[in-house]
Amino acid sequence: MRTDGGSGPSRGYLSGSWASILGLEANAGPLTNFEVLNFLKSKGASKDPTRVLADLAPSEYKVYDYLVGTAASNQTREKIDEFLEKCKKFDLAKAEVLNILNIRPSSVVETYSIIEFCDQRLGDGVEELMQIVEEVFPAPSTEPVNEETINEAAETNEN
Amino acid sequence: MFYLSRIEHKLRVPPDLHDRPIEEAIKGELQKLFVDKVIANLGLCISVYDIRSITGGFIFPSEGSATYTVVFTLIMFRPFVGEIIAAKLKESNVNGLRLSVGFFDDIYVPVHLLPDPCHHVPDSARRDSVIWIWEIMEGENFIDWEDEIRFQVHSITYPPIPVEPPKDSKPFSPMVITGSINSDGLGPLTWWNEAELEVTEEP
Repeated sequence: MRTDGGSGPSRGYLSGSWASILGLEANAGPLTNFEVLNFLKSKGASKDPTRVLADLAPSEYKVYDYLVGTAASNQTREKIDEFLEKCKKFDLAKAEVLNILNIRPSSVVETYSIIEFCDQRLGDGVEELMQIVEEVFPAPSTEPVNEETINEAAETNEN
Repeated sequence: MFYLSRIEHKLRVPPDLHDRPIEEAIKGELQKLFVDKVIANLGLCISVYDIRSITGGFIFPSEGSATYTVVFTLIMFRPFVGEIIAAKLKESNVNGLRLSVGFFDDIYVPVHLLPDPCHHVPDSARRDSVIWIWEIMEGENFIDWEDEIRFQVHSITYPPIPVEPPKDSKPFSPMVITGSINSDGLGPLTWWNEAELEVTEEP
């Protein structure tokens, strides 16, 4: 029933009709980049260059590599809860909050593309929102410190 | 960007796995079947998140495999329309840009969704490539290979498998994201860092 589509090394494909039989609940909840990264770490993904110890598919490592390069690698569950609490007053849509967490905009102009009708809805509040982002998720100052925390997180997950 | 999708599936577990713990055997089979595969309208499967229930285990006549009904959860990559995603440039030609997020690279930005007005010049370093340039008042802004590029998801399509793929066609992609970078805050990140600096310098 599984068909490998087309010619060349393209991605495998599960046909539409089959998928419709399968789907129980297509959307059982969104995940932030942080949560996916955390899940992959809990499966054993780390910066270990040999990549033989963990039971991860090569494609999962690609996702890990991408996420480690995003803002998600500097986030923690507590920080995210703190941010959710603080940005309640802006009355943002769930998708917008999710997008802010994933992208971590560092300037007002970046926020404009994420929040719909940002001007009308937030007005000057956008500056305050930027401050909260800067406060809760500070930009990584130096690389080595950054590396250490990632390793620590990976270790605690392994235990 | 990522979603959980709960799925029920009748899974066949071949006889050579029957000596392993059932959950482990089923997880392995699910991973083989779904990880790095596109399911139409659900997206690209990243990982098997958990297994909710396993029932059955019936062996049909003339079959060695045991068939289980499994309910499980997958992590899917399925951006929503309007989402902003960070990517890298993969191809740049006269038809527009192709972007990649590392694990998925069927992201296209057609010419009409590039910043307006813009034009392109041939890329001297790469054959058949061009460099797109956004013209704004202060000068020219290049879309080059190093920068992180933010795009907004314009649409996601799941093209059906071609019955007879034309010869010399590029590999079939089961999931295609069309992105737009024609808005404030989109495109290479350096464009906006510079813009921010100029604004702060003004007063």
